[in-house]
Amino acid sequence: MKLKSRQSRLQVGLLLLPGLAFFALFTIYPILKLFYMSFLNWDMGSMLRQTFAGVENYKAVLSDGTFRIAFTNTLLYTVVTVPGQMILGLLAAVLINEIPHFRVGFRVIYYIPVITSWVIVSLVFRYIFNTEGMLNYLLTNVLGWTGQYIHWLDSRWGGLFVAMMLGIWKGVGWNLVVFLAALQSVPKELYESAEMDGCGSVQKFFYITLPSINPTILFALVMLTIGGFNVFTSVKMITGGKPMHQTETVLTWMYYKAFTTGEFGYAAALSFIVAVTLILLAVLQFKAMKQKDEAR
Amino acid sequence: MKKSTIKKTLALFLTGAMTLAAFTACGEKAPDVSSTPQKSKKEEITTINFWHHYSAQSAENETLTKVLIPKFEEENPGYKVNAVSHEWADLHDKIMISASSDTLPDVARLDIAWVPEFQKMDILVPLNKEMSDYDATAKDLLPSAMSTASIKGDQYALALNTNTKILFYNEEALKEVNLEVPKTMDELFAAAKALSGKNKNGQQVWGLNEPALSSWNVLPYIWSNGGTITNEDYTKAQGFVNSKETVAAVQKLVDLYKNGELGGFNSGDIPMTDGFGTGRYMMLLEGPWKTAELAGAYPDFKYGTAGVPVGSAGGISVLGGEDIAMFKSANKEGAWKFIQFMTSDYAQKEMAKCGQIPVNTKTLESKEVKESAFAPFLEAITTAKTRPPVASWAKIDNELTTAMTDMIINSADVQKTLDQLATKIDTLLAE
Amino acid sequence: MQKLNRKKASGNMLRYVLLVIGGFVSILPMIYMISTSLKPNGALYEFPPRFFPSLNELTGENYVYIFKQEKFYLNFLNSVLVSILTVLIAAFVAAALAFCLARFEFIGKKLLFGLVIGTMIIPGTTLIITQYQLASRFHITNKLLGLVPFYVAWVIPFSTFMIKSYIEGIPRDFDEAVYADGGSVFTVFFRVILPLASPAIASVSIFNFLTAWEEFPWALTVLNDAEKLTLPIAISGFFGQHQFTQWGYVFAMSVASLIPVLLIFICCQKYFVSGLQAGGLKG
Repeated sequence: MKLKSRQSRLQVGLLLLPGLAFFALFTIYPILKLFYMSFLNWDMGSMLRQTFAGVENYKAVLSDGTFRIAFTNTLLYTVVTVPGQMILGLLAAVLINEIPHFRVGFRVIYYIPVITSWVIVSLVFRYIFNTEGMLNYLLTNVLGWTGQYIHWLDSRWGGLFVAMMLGIWKGVGWNLVVFLAALQSVPKELYESAEMDGCGSVQKFFYITLPSINPTILFALVMLTIGGFNVFTSVKMITGGKPMHQTETVLTWMYYKAFTTGEFGYAAALSFIVAVTLILLAVLQFKAMKQKDEAR
Repeated sequence: MKKSTIKKTLALFLTGAMTLAAFTACGEKAPDVSSTPQKSKKEEITTINFWHHYSAQSAENETLTKVLIPKFEEENPGYKVNAVSHEWADLHDKIMISASSDTLPDVARLDIAWVPEFQKMDILVPLNKEMSDYDATAKDLLPSAMSTASIKGDQYALALNTNTKILFYNEEALKEVNLEVPKTMDELFAAAKALSGKNKNGQQVWGLNEPALSSWNVLPYIWSNGGTITNEDYTKAQGFVNSKETVAAVQKLVDLYKNGELGGFNSGDIPMTDGFGTGRYMMLLEGPWKTAELAGAYPDFKYGTAGVPVGSAGGISVLGGEDIAMFKSANKEGAWKFIQFMTSDYAQKEMAKCGQIPVNTKTLESKEVKESAFAPFLEAITTAKTRPPVASWAKIDNELTTAMTDMIINSADVQKTLDQLATKIDTLLAE
Repeated sequence: MQKLNRKKASGNMLRYVLLVIGGFVSILPMIYMISTSLKPNGALYEFPPRFFPSLNELTGENYVYIFKQEKFYLNFLNSVLVSILTVLIAAFVAAALAFCLARFEFIGKKLLFGLVIGTMIIPGTTLIITQYQLASRFHITNKLLGLVPFYVAWVIPFSTFMIKSYIEGIPRDFDEAVYADGGSVFTVFFRVILPLASPAIASVSIFNFLTAWEEFPWALTVLNDAEKLTLPIAISGFFGQHQFTQWGYVFAMSVASLIPVLLIFICCQKYFVSGLQAGGLKG
């Protein structure tokens, strides 16, 4: 709608103002400042000497072996946990959508991990996966599947595995609720006519359900990819990047570089590389899904 | 239908708003929710922010907040001390963070290993230059401890307490295998071997424990074997951190781990205190705080202590301890009063009661200290060595930890890894 | 017909079995946490490890310890205060922004929406350095209320996006009717859009509440004083002091902090789903 009177223009302006103010001050300004900072030599050891560094910080990040490990870890975490959560969440949603009773009960139970703080669930997982923990006892002493205790938290892949399991476990509930909402808005007539044509549950799922909830899948995919790159608290609490920074993720490594060794320029450049990667990924996902939509 | 939904939502928001109103009302009464501890003009009370890393649940913290601070505030009307406890590693990071934005506290208790780094960042006050009665205060403090904060002739902090590690051992376990308390490194390793294995539950038992693989953990083994990190001027690591002696000491640790005789530094392992108290770790090198911790968590557990076992170069422990420093942004008058108070005979004696080794010479000579539980530590301190007091120490220690982990856990070649480490340390020393 | 019914019944049986297994996995770690919080600290490394404490070691000592600490209540109130403030401010600000984006044309609208989407994608933690400098310039580090503007700024993009999609589903006829009666933009916003969009606002508010309630890196970085900490930071502080973790305390505190969120969620879960369902995801 076009704005005609001065009064309505003023009122729209007033409504926009708080949002714009928050946005400009607490988000846009820090982004610009960070960008500027990524081109400076800015180390805690030499606070007063902030010299222009050109792209040195970016070079330093890209040639840093630990950054490459952290980046690979984050990417793997995302590639494993995103489909993992989505598939399990969708499965649970489909099952709940078709049962006559206890829908709310199941929804609440599946949602409990989502509403529990990352700090808490990370500590619980750490406790369970301790070398002397319940899981190893179960696997070795009770079931006898493993000859000796597995050092879950003590290697790159073990630590990542635990973080991934936590990520999937905690995320299923969110996916369930999102997909359940989508499933319930799929027109019932579609299923009825398919049933008349003799389609089974599996066929119905692939020919009707999946295409109908395509936008939701894209939404979840983008949100979860962002979430995957955001992984921080769980890794910090479970392995703390140990051993030898092998289980760092981009954000834990950024935090370490910024606040433990005080290399602000490096950390700023790292932040920007992560942000750009994520934006590219999101654009790619949108494009891919659009193409799939059009091809149909 | 829709209307009722809206009503309920509104009700929800209203409840929210009311709860909120209730909380803000409380907030007015409790000013600490949002007020900065700054000079408030009405009451003329100056708050001194003091950061430390006494654990929140420790006896030291109890003494600090319930005995020392009330006493200080009573003696110095107009001052209020706001003591903040951080986890050890967090305290370092918190100071880095605050330094970047001028939000430092007034006073902090710093690990002696951090002082050169923070001094280089230009955030510490040179006390000898700025405090007129500096000499009168400093003369009571142990010179060797004071040297940890002395950089290029200026004193950037006062010594607050000192510590070192000695041997803790499980008494019953040693008796069971008929061994004496190890006096030499060879005996220690032999005992570690004898004590390792499985207990009656089939659980693994480690003869020797280290909770991490940083310099604090490995240096006693390296030093006692004649190895070292750098030369005596702390300018060069090549030929020192990869010397024959260092390599041999590290190789010994590698072998101990491989044979299941050394453990505890993996993230998934039992924590040190629990492992020692439940008989899973039999021996360890630890500081004076362990005594109080064990008394609290495992009061029935029987253990003994002894000096660091002697190697080819002696029984050399690592010198730890804390300094108390003032930041440049501090309220200098109040901060200095508090620093003087914390290093005074009274405060040092109170802290000594909960296991902190004093640096005030008067306190050290007192009867209480000489007869206290940490008497064995006092002896070890005389031969203990300090970690290189260089500004890049945090980074060097990080590289060292990475290298140690690589050699001990991943069985990387010791000589090759230490050669590479020497190059890295030399670069960091040159910074 | 009966055959069909039986087939349907057995299919449902299978669904229930699968859902029960999944639900079991979902809450098993939480049950383990609760059972551990009821064990004495000394029994945490017992052998064999037991899932449930034996009757004679069952103890409330961890809870007694937590509830005796004055700090716990402060930490709890802090979290509640910060979360509620974040929710209220974000709900209003995002709804206003979403309304303008959904209904009006103005200069820079495309840019603004692009920025909203763009900042939704960038992880908040990457901005921690410069946001910290900003906070210190405003002297709001180590202040409880200093958390709120940053939390609001973080949740605005997602909230705006969701509420905007929802508002776009509300027929414009409602607005037009108000304008025809001489109503202003404010009237439309406060009398029509806010009430009609309340399911979407409620659902993002639950989401925002959780975000603020469990936020970790920012609060960890900004807060110092023990009485100002929020719950997640206080809980993490119990963990790992001197390589010596009192798991009993950690878990007792976790359980105590989990219960209110659980209650809120159980009461509001209807809005959560309805908000998502009623078009919030179609944009």
